[in-house]
Amino acid sequence: MALMPIAVVVVGVFLPAYPLRILDLVLLYAILGMGLNIVVGYAGLLDLGYVAFYAIGAYTYALLASPQFDLHLPFLLILAIGAGLAALAGVLLGIPVLRLRGDYLAIVTLGFGEIIRVLMNNLDWMTNGPQGIARIDEASLFGWRVSTPVDFLYLLVGLAVLTFLFVWRLQESALGTALAAVREDQDAARGCGIDTTGVKLIAFATSATIGGVGGVVFASMQRFVSPESFTFWESLSIVLVVVVGGLGNPFGVMLGAGLLVLVPELLRAYADYRQLLFGVALVLVILARPMGLIRREYGPSWFARKLMAR
Amino acid sequence: MLIFDHVTKRFGANVAIDDASLTIRPGVITAVIGPNGAGKSTLVNMAAGSFRATSGRILLDGVELQGLPKYKIARAGLSRTYQNIRLFDGLSVLQNLEVALVPRSLPTLIAQAFWLGPGAGAEVRDTCMAVLQRLGIAHLAERQAGSLAYGQQKIVELARAVAARPRAILLDEPAAGLNHGETDELKAHIQTLRGPELAIVLIEHDMRLIMSVSDDIYVMNRGAVLAHGNPEAIRDNPQVQEAYLGQPGAMGNIEAAARGRRNRVRLRAGEGLAWGQS
Repeated sequence: MALMPIAVVVVGVFLPAYPLRILDLVLLYAILGMGLNIVVGYAGLLDLGYVAFYAIGAYTYALLASPQFDLHLPFLLILAIGAGLAALAGVLLGIPVLRLRGDYLAIVTLGFGEIIRVLMNNLDWMTNGPQGIARIDEASLFGWRVSTPVDFLYLLVGLAVLTFLFVWRLQESALGTALAAVREDQDAARGCGIDTTGVKLIAFATSATIGGVGGVVFASMQRFVSPESFTFWESLSIVLVVVVGGLGNPFGVMLGAGLLVLVPELLRAYADYRQLLFGVALVLVILARPMGLIRREYGPSWFARKLMAR
Repeated sequence: MLIFDHVTKRFGANVAIDDASLTIRPGVITAVIGPNGAGKSTLVNMAAGSFRATSGRILLDGVELQGLPKYKIARAGLSRTYQNIRLFDGLSVLQNLEVALVPRSLPTLIAQAFWLGPGAGAEVRDTCMAVLQRLGIAHLAERQAGSLAYGQQKIVELARAVAARPRAILLDEPAAGLNHGETDELKAHIQTLRGPELAIVLIEHDMRLIMSVSDDIYVMNRGAVLAHGNPEAIRDNPQVQEAYLGQPGAMGNIEAAARGRRNRVRLRAGEGLAWGQS
């Protein structure tokens, strides 16, 4: 398992700039997908507004490290602030909406995602509205300037490994058990003494935190943010990464991220039919493998057991 | 001790429970019987927090359960099984039990998930395995709960209900849908639950099961307690015979069942079924 990130780095270092950028994007989506997976895959709650937390992270970096307010805080500090703000937003959103289930929850979270985007679009004095914020600072980590795609490859691989370890641990911990119970039968979970609202709130907040971290990294990578990057389509893509790859399985999410970023790139040649082909491919995958390409039970723990047994 | 103190429940103009008072003592198995619509399930659902009584109190070891959210009622020590099994189908049998032992405090949960606190994993696992062992289903621990046979699922549900060491347990028609062999097995399991600390409530239609395991019986009719006493007294109570049993032919079955219990004679399969499945 430890070989995977090393392999990614080794391959990545020798890639030309364009494929390397795509690899970075795959990693970013994998991180976001693993974050969203806590809510969608572990707790079984459909969240269609995940992009909101991503946007909060991105704008946090854009506002605190750019000429906009002439603030130039260090990257790590902003990473913490962005994660914190996203977590806060997750809790604030979670408190009113977590009474809802299924479709209703999906609709409300979708609305929340749009609210954040519209807010960024209209708070001209702060965010420059639709023009976005440009000339964002280069990120630097303990004196290491993170600017080229290769630098970001290192950063993203590191973050992806951390995220992976974290979500794995979460899934295996008592919290993971509680979330699984909520997913399977919420009322029976309550009958077993699970504070369902409480554990769902934790899930929402941790998932939002990862989204916020992803947003900060995204802003530092693009060095430009605008509301356009945070549309509903973005939320949907991240949900698809999870659903296509494998609900509740970090490995699946990684595969999903790879496919959802790569396939549209490969279809670039067929410009006009790209979306159509992509859509057809998605429907086929979901029809053939409703639980995702890699099923829940073939997760990290299964893999670890297999390795041990050998 | 679980006490229903002058509990009344109205749904609109309908009186589902009419001033019912029941005392369920620890250490004994108390059956609540009565025809369909007598209010047995309403009683269970109120105690478990599905809805509140119109008036009256429900006390578990002196703690008022009314108005507590469901999960707090469970934490107060009341656990239950469901008429139509409600296991976490996608999880393993072991995980089903682990759910009942998830740490209660959210900070503890967070700490464990973030590697900060000590993970209690192994300890919880051992406790759950011990419960499975006691009920003779340890070999099913890794199986997916939803893939088990109906009778096995019933036992897993029983195991889940007792895993958290409750003070009182409500068994809502545990024998419904079981065949004779399975019912006998269930009977044995219910017997093993008996302990000085645990109050057991058995809501059942299967008279053979009731007469053979319960120590104390409440008979409900139209929401009110019609009679209360030990199995022999209930069997001989003419009011009960008239209100609940209806058909005269049914008496033989109760007598056979009650006699079976007294003499420790095992009933032949087929007896006692006449109105068990009506």
